[in-house]
Amino acid sequence: MELAVQTKGLVKVYGGKVRALDKVDLTVDAGTSFALLGPNGAGKTTLMRILTTQIRPTAGEARVFGLDVVRQGSKVRRLISYVPQEMSVWTDISGYENLLIYAKIFGIPRHERRKVIDEVLENMGLTGVQNEPVSTYSGGMIRRLEIACAMLIKPKIIFLDEPTIGLDPAARKVVWESLQVFKREYGVTIFFNTHYMDEADQYADNIAIINQGKIVARGTAEELKHSLGGEIITITFEKGIFKPDIAQEFRKSSYVKDVIVEEEGLNVIVSDAESTLPYLINILRENGVPIGRVSITRPTLDDVFLKFVGTRIVEKGRISDVKHMRDMIRKG
Amino acid sequence: MIKGLKIMLVMVELELRRLRHDRTELYFRAVQPILWIVIYGPVMSSVRAIPTGEVPYTDFITPGIMIQTTTFVSIFYGLMMVWERDSGILKKLLVTPASRYSVVIGRSMASGVRALFQALIILPVALIIGVHFIHNPVYFVLAFTIIFLASGGFAAISILIASFMKTRERFLGLGQAIIMPLFFASNALYPTQIMPPLLREISTFNPLSYVVDAVRGLLITGDLSNLLMDLASITIFDAISFILASISFRRIIE
Repeated sequence: MELAVQTKGLVKVYGGKVRALDKVDLTVDAGTSFALLGPNGAGKTTLMRILTTQIRPTAGEARVFGLDVVRQGSKVRRLISYVPQEMSVWTDISGYENLLIYAKIFGIPRHERRKVIDEVLENMGLTGVQNEPVSTYSGGMIRRLEIACAMLIKPKIIFLDEPTIGLDPAARKVVWESLQVFKREYGVTIFFNTHYMDEADQYADNIAIINQGKIVARGTAEELKHSLGGEIITITFEKGIFKPDIAQEFRKSSYVKDVIVEEEGLNVIVSDAESTLPYLINILRENGVPIGRVSITRPTLDDVFLKFVGTRIVEKGRISDVKHMRDMIRKG
Repeated sequence: MIKGLKIMLVMVELELRRLRHDRTELYFRAVQPILWIVIYGPVMSSVRAIPTGEVPYTDFITPGIMIQTTTFVSIFYGLMMVWERDSGILKKLLVTPASRYSVVIGRSMASGVRALFQALIILPVALIIGVHFIHNPVYFVLAFTIIFLASGGFAAISILIASFMKTRERFLGLGQAIIMPLFFASNALYPTQIMPPLLREISTFNPLSYVVDAVRGLLITGDLSNLLMDLASITIFDAISFILASISFRRIIE
């Protein structure tokens, strides 16, 4: 299968100190959608900016459809489209005018322009508002306009940096549905950064988890969940009585695959929850630890993430920051 | 090359489209130069402190004020670059097949277009208060072409500054610190002959002086003896600023 993206030992060091990427090896098959999942500062954006030829790697190599991003940058730029996390359309002109300017920048011939623009407007559901100034658009509409700009040239691969950050669930769904259309109809490879687990789970054929500049896990969503083993028993303790050392007791048992300690309880990964549970409860009784609540779940991507990165993504503040920033830019 | 030229034209088109949607900035920016011509000019000319030969003082400063305004517009064009850097526009532009130099020169020329309109707004006001222009359409077109080209050069300088000053506040500070010395160390308000020797030396390296000299010759005095030299200086200034800005452009997004 053709490789859309291939990196070998990719390193990026900022200012001689900050190691944003640390020997990243990655491959993405052409025609698939790929999610790079990671917390803030993990190196997601840095990797994307190297792949889109904006910045040069400190060491290692990166190829997009076989082309070296450093030596063959201008050829790479003819194949790719990129939607940055920040707002990237001019807000003081109309949506149609934005598309027209970009169509000209991309060198789309005059007689095809109108047709191509109408097509992306239609696919992104923006036909009705094309002549309104972008400053009157909602966040979701602006995102769709940005994707429409990126889709003018039918790229071989589209890079999306946090494509739905700051959007409400309905708008997120619309954005993803339109991206799926492009993937299906034109075979566009989709490479996106995200910190939304459900988005990676639902829309990515393959996922890589990145943390502190390193790829810590990769596979399909199913494979990643499977890698945790069977099921998860979550035990929450009564307030103030949690003894983290009970985890050690659990780990001694051959039924228990792994134990993840959280603030108020334990996630115990086992292959068969129903037969293991009585045994765990016994251990807790023997140690005199009162149980608050017990539940059994199949692993989610969240659990996978927790295992490899060590923390859950809690970024409420950041999302509202980004939203605020985008609003500010929009209003000028 | 042709591709590059096309990109530059698209950048100019973008600017025209923005101007079509919103011209408020153009009107607000016209207030200050109009004050110079309507108030400062007549007051100073009644004092007769500055020797401007046969030419009335207000007529003398009109080209200077026009060019001060257009330079203002251009120097602060970089602010838009800082803004577009904070948003994702510059990143996206750099990922398109458009070459760096065509984006830089194109945006600079776009600023030239904006500046042109800014200069044209002042014209009717100057006419109303009785400034005498030379009636020669060729001179007129040439003068405004020079304003356009020089503004492009100053905008490139501003993009250069923007690639070093990455926050708006710093950029604003430096912009102010550059523009007033540029203005005062030029022949915009007074002939360089009456300057102290050191300042006169400095003014010979001030591109603004050559622009003012050329435009004043073409619009007001008809003295074109330095025109070739002025044009050569402006061309060299543009070339240097375009090259420097193109080289440093990538720094903006890093």
